[in-house]
Amino acid sequence: MIGAVRRNTELGLLVLSTLFTVGAYVLASLPEDGTIPANIGPFLAIFVGLQLLAHVAMRRLAPRADGMLLPLASLLAGLGYVFIVRIDEARDNPDGLAGLQSLWLAVGVGAFIGTLVLVRDVRALERLRYTAGLAGIALLLLPLVPGVGQTINGSKIWVSFGPVNFQPGEFAKIALAVFFAGYLNEKKELLRVSKEIGRIPVPDPKHLGPVLVAWGASLIVMVAERDLGSSLLFFALFLVLIWVATERASYLAVGALLFAAGATFAHAQFGHVRERVDIWLDPWPVAQDEGFQVVQSAFAFADGGITGRGLGLGVPDKIPEVETDFIFAAIGEELGLLGAAAVLIAFLLIIGAGLRIATRSSNGFERLLATGLTTLIGLQAFIIMGGVVRLMPLTGVTLPFVSYGGSSLIANFVLMALLLRISDDSVRRAEDRLAALDQTQMAG
Amino acid sequence: MGRQIRNLGVFLVVLYAALFVQINRVTVFGAEQLRDNPNNNREIERDFAAPRGSVSTADGVVIAESVESTDPHSRFELQRVFPLNERYAHITGYYGFSVGASGLEREYNDELAGRTIDFDLQDVGDLFVDRERVGNLTLSVRDDVQRVAQEQLGAREGSVVALDPRSGGIYAMWSFPSFDPNPLSSNDLSAAATADSQLNEAEGNPKLSRAYQDRFFPGSTFKVVTATAGVERGGVTQNDPEYPQADSYTARGTTRPLNNFGGRTCGGTLFIILQQSCNSAFAQMGVEQVGPDGMVATAEAFGFNDDDVPIDLPSPTESVFPTEFEQDLPRLAQASIGQNDVSATPLQMALVAAAVANDGTIMEPYVVQEVRDDQDEVIDEADPDEWKTAMSPATSALLGEAMQSVVAEGSAVKLDDGLEGYEVGGKTGTAQLGTDPPRSHAWIIGFAGPPGETPHVAVAVLVEGQPGASEQTGGDVAAPIAAAVMRQVLEPGAGAGG
Repeated sequence: MIGAVRRNTELGLLVLSTLFTVGAYVLASLPEDGTIPANIGPFLAIFVGLQLLAHVAMRRLAPRADGMLLPLASLLAGLGYVFIVRIDEARDNPDGLAGLQSLWLAVGVGAFIGTLVLVRDVRALERLRYTAGLAGIALLLLPLVPGVGQTINGSKIWVSFGPVNFQPGEFAKIALAVFFAGYLNEKKELLRVSKEIGRIPVPDPKHLGPVLVAWGASLIVMVAERDLGSSLLFFALFLVLIWVATERASYLAVGALLFAAGATFAHAQFGHVRERVDIWLDPWPVAQDEGFQVVQSAFAFADGGITGRGLGLGVPDKIPEVETDFIFAAIGEELGLLGAAAVLIAFLLIIGAGLRIATRSSNGFERLLATGLTTLIGLQAFIIMGGVVRLMPLTGVTLPFVSYGGSSLIANFVLMALLLRISDDSVRRAEDRLAALDQTQMAG
Repeated sequence: MGRQIRNLGVFLVVLYAALFVQINRVTVFGAEQLRDNPNNNREIERDFAAPRGSVSTADGVVIAESVESTDPHSRFELQRVFPLNERYAHITGYYGFSVGASGLEREYNDELAGRTIDFDLQDVGDLFVDRERVGNLTLSVRDDVQRVAQEQLGAREGSVVALDPRSGGIYAMWSFPSFDPNPLSSNDLSAAATADSQLNEAEGNPKLSRAYQDRFFPGSTFKVVTATAGVERGGVTQNDPEYPQADSYTARGTTRPLNNFGGRTCGGTLFIILQQSCNSAFAQMGVEQVGPDGMVATAEAFGFNDDDVPIDLPSPTESVFPTEFEQDLPRLAQASIGQNDVSATPLQMALVAAAVANDGTIMEPYVVQEVRDDQDEVIDEADPDEWKTAMSPATSALLGEAMQSVVAEGSAVKLDDGLEGYEVGGKTGTAQLGTDPPRSHAWIIGFAGPPGETPHVAVAVLVEGQPGASEQTGGDVAAPIAAAVMRQVLEPGAGAGG
């Protein structure tokens, strides 16, 4: 019942997001030569085909799941693809990134369907929590292994096996979310026990161990891999989950203190951290050097104004690495405040849908996992968008679904599939209970 | 758990709200400041990459346009070129990426870039038509006249301004030295910077237009202003007073006499003293018939001391007539013959002649006649407007006659060479520079037109630093240039100098 309604909503929304993407693709190409792009046929076929595939998979594999998440992901991925086409155009590089991004999109949809096929019941993952934890830590540390790890733009977050480069951190975050959810679901009763020092309740020191481990791990990521964004993300993920699991706000307080201590320490000890903070506070003295990206990004937004310069009419190539960290600035330039706000709203809707899935689930592990996955995507988007508009220091992470990059795209599609699987599970169980109740009533 | 998850939701919404506020700051409220930031060269890059309209003279000669760059290393596809090099440098200006822009390229940047052009959408099909949204300028300046001005002045520092007294439209505005705007506008940015610094150090400051951005002692050409003051405010008529034959004039309260050129004796009625350019008589007129307030009021009625010179070119400079005479009558006597602290642009002196020619009314000078879009539709047009009322029509009729008599019998006899059959009036000037050996600026102002009509052209010619200091210098040196320019305006078919 509810499944049919949700799938039809999903189909309708997917049609809308496809119309948007195709329209934007055509518009973005117009200013270049004034004609409709020649490859519109293949583009349409691939894009519509992928969405149709994902939608049919949903009907088959998770028919009762939330109907908004997939169209939102499709909208953001479509928008990102159009802007990557734009960036190729602006750089006069027709064999640039767009072709690869469409490949990653296809692999991402494949991973999405694969996840739905393989993970028929999310609770099965709970049993794998320690495996997931080990896998997560292994993935996190992989870039530090000599010969495998690659340093790109100062960050050690890449690994390469032969011709394949990827960022294991993108997958580590999902594995760690699974581990944290499983671990905390298991230990939440213990962790709720608190002592009172004076009149202030504090967690039992022996249960603080996990918090300290998470804190230390994220510091290692920050220091050894110079990946501030991911470090912040992992720590926030753990903090949110321990708070939600234990319902003890004191963990938040302890976490905030540890964060402040870690941040102060890092600022004092590490030049790359200090540099980011200085640029955030005042980029103008270094506007032609270290602050160039942030300053150019601000100029791009200023050029955009309320309605933007129009698709295809900006100069995204002025910002280094615009295709990954700074794609939001390209959107702000060409689509303006309105386009940027639309992206914000899309992420807010994902957060809303994700947290709704979490609250509606009756299973503790599923609740924590849904909360964790939603936090990951919502916070990651905030961290990078906030850095790009200078609301906070810039820490390079990708904008989920929008930025160029295979690892990020594939990982986020897997994340989305897990959320949808949880959604489908909880509705199915609710329907089962309802049916059982009906049976009982009929029997009675 | 449910409560915590809801609080988490609220927390994330607060974060996103802060993000939204910050995006508003960069796109809207703080955007102006960001666009004006010195590190921000997006607008000028946009203009450089975009098509840009052309500038043409009234007789259809293209003097500025954008063409495809032939430089394979160019940052931009288009290159601004000025096919006539020096001839229009002070009008079109240059259009450099890092050295900036001047002249019309700067003043009409929005029009040339098409920013002010309403893009008419006739139908949906227009959305897909590749139209160049630019504005093309057509000037009132005529290339034939400008060329004559350039050739006639030759390699002498100075300036030639010719305009239509009836509209204010400028026919020619040339000053030497000039410069070639092409190197400054080069897409090779380091070459442009080198050319710019060389020009900034060059002798004679060639980037400055002497015609409207620099001022000089006007010398005896200023006597037209004094005569106007005499007629309008001092009761001077054609026959009265008759100034005494004298070789000098000594104002009250001083023993320092103001001498005539070469100690010559002169005097008489208005027409005679103008023909002779009689210093003693005009000094006496300024001091005794008009007085300081009247002289200041009349000079300002011609446009002196008005820092808002209404020409459609950037950074015009005002002409100056001293205002603080108090009881310093010798100073007023000097000012009345265009000395002391009086200084004027050649443009201003052309407007003095134009005022006499045009019933006392000075029209706002302009160079841009029309702005057309890419479909050749006129989207903006010069709208002749009155700037100053210098004198009454009756006074202008009298002074017009007086200036014609200067050409007929006075110091400006060479002004009507080749202009037989036209009514020609003028006044010479020789502003001594007090150097040894003596040098002076040679001036002439004048007008010409068919008999019985408002003159079609008014001119001012300045040739700087000529050897000698006789009153005849202006008539000998400057008058032939002005005559040739006026003849080209009135008889375009006759050919220069032929």
